[in-house]
Amino acid sequence: MTDKFSRRDFLKLAGVGAATTAILTGCGPASRYVKREPYMEMPEYAYNGQSTYYATTCRECAAGCGLVVRTSQGRAIKTEGNANHPLNLGKTCARGQATLHGLYNPDRVQEPQGGGKPMDWDAAIQVVADALKNNQPGEIAFLLGTTSDHLFDLVSDLAAQTGINPPVRFGALSMFESRATLAKAAENLFGQAGMPFFDVGGAKAVLSFGANFLETWLSPISYTRGFAGLREALTKMRGKLIQFEARMSATAAKADEWIPLRPGTETLVALAIGRLALEKRGGPLPRAFADIDPMDAASKSGVEIETLERYAEMVVAGGALAIPGGAALGQTSGLALAEAVLALNAVADNLGKEGGMFLSPLAPNQAEYQRSASVKEMQEFTQKLASGKIKVLFVHGVNPVFELPAALEFKKALDGVEQVISFATFPDETAQAADYVFPDHHALESWGYQRVTTGSNQSALSGSQPVVSPYYNTRSTIDVLIAAAQLAGEKFAGALPFKDEVEFIQSKVAPLMNEAGGFFSAADLPAFMAYFQQYGGWWTNYDARVIPNAADTLNRNLKVVEAEFAGEGEFFFIPFVSPTLAEAGANKPWLQELPDPTTTVMWNTWVEINPATAHELGVEDDDVIQIVSEAGTVEAPAYLYPAIRPDTIAIPFGQGHTAYGRYAAGRGVNPADLLGQRFNEAGDLAFAGMKVNIKKTGRKRPLSRLESVMGVYGKGLGEEH
Amino acid sequence: MIKVEEIKMSAEETGKWGMLIDQDLCTGCQACVAACAMENNISFVGEEDAGYGRTMHWIRIERFWEGEYPEVKMTPNQPMMCQQCGAAPCEPVCPAFATVHSQAEQLNLQVYNRCVGTRYCANNCPYQVRSFNWRDYERPEPLPNQLNPDVTVRRRGVMEKCTFCIQRIHKAQDKAKSEGREVADGEFTTACAQACPANAITFGRVDDPESLVSQLAKKHGHGVKHHEELGTLPSVTYLKGG
Amino acid sequence: MFKRLFDWLKQPLGLIAVGIVLLAAVSFAAYGVWLTQQAPEQPVQFPHNLHVGFGIQCLYCHPGAAKGPAAGIPSQEKCWACHNQIAKTETSLLLAPLKQAVLIGKPLQWVPVAQVPDFVQFNHRAHIAAGQNCENCHGDMSKQTVAENPQVFNMGFCLNCHKQVAGEDQAKLVKLTDCGTCHY
Repeated sequence: MTDKFSRRDFLKLAGVGAATTAILTGCGPASRYVKREPYMEMPEYAYNGQSTYYATTCRECAAGCGLVVRTSQGRAIKTEGNANHPLNLGKTCARGQATLHGLYNPDRVQEPQGGGKPMDWDAAIQVVADALKNNQPGEIAFLLGTTSDHLFDLVSDLAAQTGINPPVRFGALSMFESRATLAKAAENLFGQAGMPFFDVGGAKAVLSFGANFLETWLSPISYTRGFAGLREALTKMRGKLIQFEARMSATAAKADEWIPLRPGTETLVALAIGRLALEKRGGPLPRAFADIDPMDAASKSGVEIETLERYAEMVVAGGALAIPGGAALGQTSGLALAEAVLALNAVADNLGKEGGMFLSPLAPNQAEYQRSASVKEMQEFTQKLASGKIKVLFVHGVNPVFELPAALEFKKALDGVEQVISFATFPDETAQAADYVFPDHHALESWGYQRVTTGSNQSALSGSQPVVSPYYNTRSTIDVLIAAAQLAGEKFAGALPFKDEVEFIQSKVAPLMNEAGGFFSAADLPAFMAYFQQYGGWWTNYDARVIPNAADTLNRNLKVVEAEFAGEGEFFFIPFVSPTLAEAGANKPWLQELPDPTTTVMWNTWVEINPATAHELGVEDDDVIQIVSEAGTVEAPAYLYPAIRPDTIAIPFGQGHTAYGRYAAGRGVNPADLLGQRFNEAGDLAFAGMKVNIKKTGRKRPLSRLESVMGVYGKGLGEEH
Repeated sequence: MIKVEEIKMSAEETGKWGMLIDQDLCTGCQACVAACAMENNISFVGEEDAGYGRTMHWIRIERFWEGEYPEVKMTPNQPMMCQQCGAAPCEPVCPAFATVHSQAEQLNLQVYNRCVGTRYCANNCPYQVRSFNWRDYERPEPLPNQLNPDVTVRRRGVMEKCTFCIQRIHKAQDKAKSEGREVADGEFTTACAQACPANAITFGRVDDPESLVSQLAKKHGHGVKHHEELGTLPSVTYLKGG
Repeated sequence: MFKRLFDWLKQPLGLIAVGIVLLAAVSFAAYGVWLTQQAPEQPVQFPHNLHVGFGIQCLYCHPGAAKGPAAGIPSQEKCWACHNQIAKTETSLLLAPLKQAVLIGKPLQWVPVAQVPDFVQFNHRAHIAAGQNCENCHGDMSKQTVAENPQVFNMGFCLNCHKQVAGEDQAKLVKLTDCGTCHY
């Protein structure tokens, strides 16, 4: 080799040769070098290449829909609805479909961690055992999510027997659904706490006061099915949907009439319609509707009196169902609205009738109605944490650092806790703030059950079973607790006398074996459990909805109040749950890529602002604007939304994570940063009870939207507007 | 030697598989879009490419605005996917015969291994329902575990579109044949129709007057086919509702 | 720079060097092509001929072929059911990997030989049901030890057979030559 032909040149030439080889071999069947592992022991029912299907329960929200998951060669391939399940009748929502992107998410917590370093499970269980053993019972607290009811039951039993604090449950969805308000209103009016159930499918018309029941509200699948029933035009009159809210949500977009009333006046409108209906019908005016002046309500709300009269006639005609929900309940007047709307149903003679209002049946193994904590209760809990009274906090299935209003300073409160132990499946904000993360399995790898709180006529307990074996070195939280209890002394060991999670679940489900009217029955427990897994739960065969007792409903005073708004701002502020992402969807790439139903925006947060207002302020599409509330500030691009009041702006909740994996972190903003600490009388957060200011920042941040391809207002493809 | 004949449906024929979409029921919830993506191994493209209009959705929900506040109205949600035209504009323009008509199933096929990525078909599609793989979109491990083994994973430079879940059609036909019977109506359905919580999508044999899809179309009686004036003979019927 | 390299290449030594490099590249490539045609190394040098010779049916070990899309590789459990009763299993060097795999409980990693590309959706069941014998595609296994592919599974191979089978039956021909029958 000469000195002119250097080694480097030779290497280059050799590289060309190697590349040629690679290309030519690439032409051959490269996939032949794939390795295949046969089963060690092939299950009798399995054939290679044939799918196996398992019934389980979706845990993307608390509704408890039944799933049937298709698996192939030990991998979960597709989720479908469980056609037998009384809640969803074989249907799923987008989040249920994308649950597989949680299971196979590249950013899951893969092994137990302490102080940022991997641990083994024996050490992890010892940590939990020490935490239970070395602290007073009163210093131990559990914060649980709204799914995994079996875990809640286990911890509740543990608390009852050992004196540790009873578990607190929370979820952002239950915050935005104002569950405490709905239950409180039912208790006040019917003397019975419970989750109201609105039979949309049988109604002739629906008056929805902000209820976003086609998006994420309570049980979106069953309400969507109800909506389809409402619209059914082949066998009956097509039912009408009338939506009162300041911003056209995806639900309002389906409405026949969208009434953008002034935020805070929903109570007045509901009461006015009730009074007008009673006057039209004649007879004595009950106390409940005595104080409202319909003309006053009309002028304050901006809804014409003729419109209210028209709706009153619908109520008189019968079959008009009123539903409270969404931002309307998330105001200081939320409880008054809920009561007014439930009373309106009493006026419409809807209670306990087809197409009317019921109380949801309790789940089969449930003694009384339970609900997750209101934000007011979470505020108290946070203060307790901050005060140092709690030494150990266990967190499972909830991400309060992200979900609670920033004003509550939950993250700071965690500093007052000596030891925070998270059982998170994903590295979310709360897990990051924890001292230890002992990851639980993903829902599709887990045993369990979930109570169907609302949405089904039948009383239903939805069962979970693992559809695939755990992908990572995770462990069931219940198994961890049972193992730790054995090490934590007699008191704890005695409280959890179970071999494992499955035995615990059997002990909770076994009593159903002897109940009459079940969907199936079995002679012994193994057979019963086999059916329970095969069908995906247990439910009654009969309609178990509770007819509310309306004897005193109209004889009590209903408050005639307008909502109060916190802050000096110019705009009403409506945070709403993203219909596609909901509380925990941001880490699933396909959910990120689903266009929002109304704006078609993907992968980001936007601020909805009326085009006329934007024009006045000199704000254009994609201009980054700053929203200032009394509690905080966020910046996000503007979306000129034609269907929102000019004095209102809205931001979707779901994005703005600082952790939670690569698809969620650093994307968009979290409107919880703007939320303050005002509550309604039931203790639910007045999340829509603020006025905010907006400022231009001079920056632009283009939003990815589907409509720029399709064009808006029929404009051409890809055209700027 | 078989001759390559131009296969076109005549206007009198109904085609074989068809869909009925009730826009009055569609809530725009995107369950069908997610279900389709999961069933058909569709790539997600990320925020930037999505902004360029390169999303790979095989089905999308269209909506338009009418009027101005406060008299503004959103038009009924319109799920839009390949209309499986009987006389498809995409087919004659493909220089590689990758976009061909299936005579057996009366569907428009996209043969990935033939496709060279000219994108002529997408340009000629009046429904804008074809999506092109501009890149090999990343699916980090272990996400590929979720891939459906019955559907080809497409790579860069290949056009793709809704197939009416042809893998499910084949599976049902295979099962029926192994049991010595015909495929029953409602025995299987497409991923979108299966997921739809409002039952807005009905799929089935349009050449069978007894099938649910034919019965519903007959009962409602005011179905609309998009761009019928172009003579494309689409297989999807829309009920405008309202 | 380039001119100097070019000048250098034009002298006899340079030409020889270019020749050598070209030769190396071509032989490298030829080696690469040859490599693609070799049966890959298997964890066990499985003698198909012996097993077929004993009268074991193909479907005994590959039952999936009659039931669904994939024929499948038998589980170790199935191998072991017979082999743990055979004295030679204990001593045979050939069977050592199987014995070890069963003992330590790790699956053997086989390399599939008969493969179609990812964009082909092949279904064994339909072919068996149509009366095709395994050897029509996979060759006579009574003459092979480690499975080798007797032919390249390209589209011509498939279509030839499909057309022959369809014969004059027009409906069958349509179905069997439809692109969508295999590609989706």
